[in-house]
Amino acid sequence: MDMTEDNDLLLKQFFQQAAQQQIADNGFTERVMQHLPQHTSLAARRTLLTRLWTAFCIVVFAVLFVAFHGWELLTIQFEVMLQTLSVQTFSINLLMAATVLFGLLFVGVGEVISSEIARR
Amino acid sequence: MALLNSDIVLATQVAVSGNRRAFDELVRRYQSPVRRFFLSQTMGDEQLSDDLAQDTFIKAYMSIASFRGLASFKTWLMRIAYNVFYDHTRKRQIAVSDWQLAESQQPTAKSQQPIAMDLYAALALLKPDERTCITLQLIDGYDIAGIAKITQMKEGTVKSHLSRGKEKLANYLRQNGYDRR
Repeated sequence: MDMTEDNDLLLKQFFQQAAQQQIADNGFTERVMQHLPQHTSLAARRTLLTRLWTAFCIVVFAVLFVAFHGWELLTIQFEVMLQTLSVQTFSINLLMAATVLFGLLFVGVGEVISSEIARR
Repeated sequence: MALLNSDIVLATQVAVSGNRRAFDELVRRYQSPVRRFFLSQTMGDEQLSDDLAQDTFIKAYMSIASFRGLASFKTWLMRIAYNVFYDHTRKRQIAVSDWQLAESQQPTAKSQQPIAMDLYAALALLKPDERTCITLQLIDGYDIAGIAKITQMKEGTVKSHLSRGKEKLANYLRQNGYDRR
């Protein structure tokens, strides 16, 4: 057995009891609940409003899509895209790569912002 | 039933409708690992550990909308706990000079068993980052990637802290006859 494995075994035995230790609640949860600010219910309401607004926008989009025969427009666009793709493969591929890159950047920035919020 | 009570469902109930009962359940589930983490970092200071754990849960409640479920709820919570402890250490370093800090970093467990005293005495030998990495691995069972996620250190840095910390602890344990028990 080499030195590192020897150390790992020794430390595993030493920390075994601490790793199994369960701390009894003893009123801790109650104390935390008493100190919670009311603020978040306001934030939750704001989130709920944002979601309702998003749902409203989706409904409006769906109605307009049906009213203006959106699928016909999409079919035309798709045909044009396919025709262009066969002629200008390089530029279209570049456009697709740029779109994917933009999407990844968008998700990445969102993750950075949310992790910063979590840090605060 | 298990699905209804999963962490993600409870966290969503808190984020969307401010459901305090759901948050109460989350605190009950995770108070033990969070308080144990702080006990290890403060070397047994129960009062300080409970204050920091309380801050952690309040911060989690305030920012629960940012929990996306990409990592487990426990890992997300431990990351907040690490940041709370990091901020606390930084504030304390500004408030006291280095020698006072060294004085105050003696084990503080009062009503603990001898094994706990030994544990905190051993942890006191480590630098804060080494202590965090060691306790997250050997007490909380996180792997290197998990520790890196919680502490936002690079995996290589985590490995260095673990290696140095383990070396110091193993030497301490051998000097105190633990290898003969």
